[in-house]
Amino acid sequence: MGSASSLCWGRAPRQGKAKNMNFYTKFCAMLSKISLILAVIGLLAVVLCVQWQVIGRYVLNDTPTWAEALALLLVLFVTAFGLAVGVRDAGHIGLESLVVLLPEKWQHRIEILIHGLVGLFGALMVHGGWLWMMAKWNEKKPMMPVPDGIDYLPLVIAGVLIVLFSIEHIIALLRGQVVEPAWN
Amino acid sequence: MELTVLALSFTLLLIIGVPVAFSIGLASVATILAAGLPVAVVFQKMVGGMQIFSFLAIPFFVFAGELMLYGGIAERIVRFANSLVGHVRGGLGMSNVIGCTLFGGVAGSPLADVSAIGSVMIPLMKKEGYDADYAVNVTTHAALVGAIMPTSHNMIIFTLATSGIASVSVLSLILAGLVPAILLTLCNLGAAYYVAVKRGYPTRGAFPGWGEVMRAFGASLPGLLVVVIILVGILSGAFTATESASIAVAWALFITAVVYRTMSWKNFMTACAKACKTTGVVLLLIGISNAFGYFMALYEVPQLTGELMKSISSEPWVIFFMINVLLFILGTFLDMAATILICTPIFMPIAMQFGMDPVQFGIVMLINCALGLNTPPVGSVQFVGCAIGGISVGQVMRSILPFYSALGICLLLVTYVPAFSMWLPNLITK
Amino acid sequence: ATFRSADIHNADDYPTVVAVKYMSDVLEKKSGGKYKIKVFNKGALGTEKETIDQVKIGALDLTRVNISPMNAICQKTQVPTMPFLFHSVEHMRKSLDGPAGEEILKDCEAQGFIGLAFYDSGARSIYAKKPIKTVADVKGLKIRVQQSDLWVSLIGAMGGNATPMPYGEVYTGLKTGLIDAAENNIPSFDTSKHYEAVKFYSKTEHSMAPEMLLMSKVIWDKLPKADQDMIRSAAKESVAVQRKKWDEQEAKSLAVVKAGGAQIVEVDKASFQAVMGPVYDKFIVTPDMKRLVKSIQDTK
Ligand code: NA
Ligand code: NA
Repeated sequence: MGSASSLCWGRAPRQGKAKNMNFYTKFCAMLSKISLILAVIGLLAVVLCVQWQVIGRYVLNDTPTWAEALALLLVLFVTAFGLAVGVRDAGHIGLESLVVLLPEKWQHRIEILIHGLVGLFGALMVHGGWLWMMAKWNEKKPMMPVPDGIDYLPLVIAGVLIVLFSIEHIIALLRGQVVEPAWN
Repeated sequence: MELTVLALSFTLLLIIGVPVAFSIGLASVATILAAGLPVAVVFQKMVGGMQIFSFLAIPFFVFAGELMLYGGIAERIVRFANSLVGHVRGGLGMSNVIGCTLFGGVAGSPLADVSAIGSVMIPLMKKEGYDADYAVNVTTHAALVGAIMPTSHNMIIFTLATSGIASVSVLSLILAGLVPAILLTLCNLGAAYYVAVKRGYPTRGAFPGWGEVMRAFGASLPGLLVVVIILVGILSGAFTATESASIAVAWALFITAVVYRTMSWKNFMTACAKACKTTGVVLLLIGISNAFGYFMALYEVPQLTGELMKSISSEPWVIFFMINVLLFILGTFLDMAATILICTPIFMPIAMQFGMDPVQFGIVMLINCALGLNTPPVGSVQFVGCAIGGISVGQVMRSILPFYSALGICLLLVTYVPAFSMWLPNLITK
Repeated sequence: ATFRSADIHNADDYPTVVAVKYMSDVLEKKSGGKYKIKVFNKGALGTEKETIDQVKIGALDLTRVNISPMNAICQKTQVPTMPFLFHSVEHMRKSLDGPAGEEILKDCEAQGFIGLAFYDSGARSIYAKKPIKTVADVKGLKIRVQQSDLWVSLIGAMGGNATPMPYGEVYTGLKTGLIDAAENNIPSFDTSKHYEAVKFYSKTEHSMAPEMLLMSKVIWDKLPKADQDMIRSAAKESVAVQRKKWDEQEAKSLAVVKAGGAQIVEVDKASFQAVMGPVYDKFIVTPDMKRLVKSIQDTK
């Protein structure tokens, strides 16, 4: 069941496993696992926030005005960590049927190019996110005692992780290895 | 000029296999550079797109679906469906349709549906002597119903894609999906029966009696109640759609962990992790599509498309037909969420001008997207079905026609007979 | 050059949309066709908050927004939002046209915005399932507010249960009883169809927070002084058009909601004014803001 649903997200499973995991792969695997744990904690907290809002409105007759704002902020972090892990586990949906028509050697080159482009977008996320975060750091977020710029922090985090994971993929491709999901 | 950059770079990136969300993102960056505007706007639209309160319902529905997938709700639903129709000709096919429809209703996404029911039913059907292509087609087509049965996170995505064009309530959309979902299910049952008779599949066993049916129903009821909770929650005014979705999560966890006692700690963690990854994938797509939408608004793509279509015909039925064809073609290449987010702002205004209600348009859109999930080159539901059935996409095409025609008939009915979608929401919300 | 201007309102004939289009005509004439403005309404370029940020970095030339989302960016904009500050529409128009209004517009400049004009947004009042006559009637009511500290605090001071909620969910919320009330001006009460859900529009007129037309300082600084003056005066000319259109819109909407069964309730405003002290204490914090409040109150 698990393998079936991961199949649909990812590319076709290939032979060959990373035997001698190098330091960088270990580091990325650990980052990916930590990211996913943080995402899970965040997701559970989002559920609790929204339920607390319901309780506040009905039981306390005093709607917690911060609950929605906090849930929205947390969901950005869940998304950031989740999408970065998705990049590492090759989880983002793409079209691949046309590349299959090319000779093997070119398929390999194009796969490297794809990870390079994904990494490039990650770098742009870091840049754009940082710019907005700084521009809006002095504005207060409504309903919460935090800067408005914090909305863009998840973008920076996700961007950094995407760059790291894309590099990992490129190295693995060059060595003829496959990046294994750290936690499934 | 900027529009050419947008279209060309997006198509090129997509063709070489860059994931859809990143293709949209990089194409947006290229376009904004061509337009001479600050690149930072792309990232503003991205975060803005992820940050609308109603979007919280998406992670919740995804999470509830994963909990049900890993918590043993699917098996009970299959048992109930089997007791009901297992004895007729092609019985396992029929129970597969019913099981998929019910589970699709609670779990919200065709993909979760085909994974959950398919992994139980497809091997079982093969063991009982059904051909693999039949087993896969029955499952994958029945799973599509999950996209329009309440609860569906794709409906939430649609309501958000409509903002700025018309205000569509989640409730109306949920209600509008019910009758077409039943219609689709009947069509699926008909197709399953037709192929079973044509191929001479055997009947198996006898009707177990209503007592057994009720017992099996009772066992699957707590799982099925999720839909009821959400509908009653919103209808009674107790909760918003988002709050209802969060309560569905709590309920799914309660049922699987406390009532059924089928949720292990390991499965729970897996469900959580899967939900986070899917949330990341879906919300990235939503966020980045918001940037794409910004360009389409800036360069007035919806108006241009509308004028182009009006220059071809001024007959509503021709316009609706063109919209269907275009949605179908785009849907075969793109994922459901991407199709909804990109196509709604383009086609909904023109559909409305020719008298289609936004809610009806939503259902037309969802059925088209669902069809795309079972159509090459990118049919994610079809991929999963084939993987479970151990056959290729080419093999599955052998018996796809009856199922496909059934879906096509439904699509035409929903497009040209407003009552199929609009009767129930008008009855309840007016 | 064609400037791009954002607006979130859907109707192409909404008063602020019409006003900016009028400003474009004036500007085109004055500049001999050199400048024009294209209005992107229906929120096509983003939410009010997003367009404000785009203006700040120069990605967008102009935006027409309510003053509320500016509150967190430019402190003095909180002043015209304050409850019961203006005692009539005439008082509001006079104050904003005068030195107080100029000072507030000018204050946005340090944050990267050229404040060009204030437009009317009418008076906001509470509408609910029941009539509200004095502040005691508000006690315990679940009232939808915008996501802003000021609005939460304002409803809180009245004794209501402030419930932030996206605008799009308010109709269903009122209809199903998830919330008891909301607050807005008459045209919004009409166009949102909220009058179908709740019938009593009680004229609390608790705030007359205006709309603003902002231009990007990044774009502005690239223009010659003569052209800047042209833009300023075109914006000022559009204000009268907006106000006229606004009054017509209000009269039209009032007729629509009344025909739809809504009842307009007169309110004991003094009872509301009496409980607003804490809101002023919390938000009017600097000597400049206090002086501005005083000068508006003293405007005759
Ligand atoms: Na569903
Ligand atoms: Na497809």
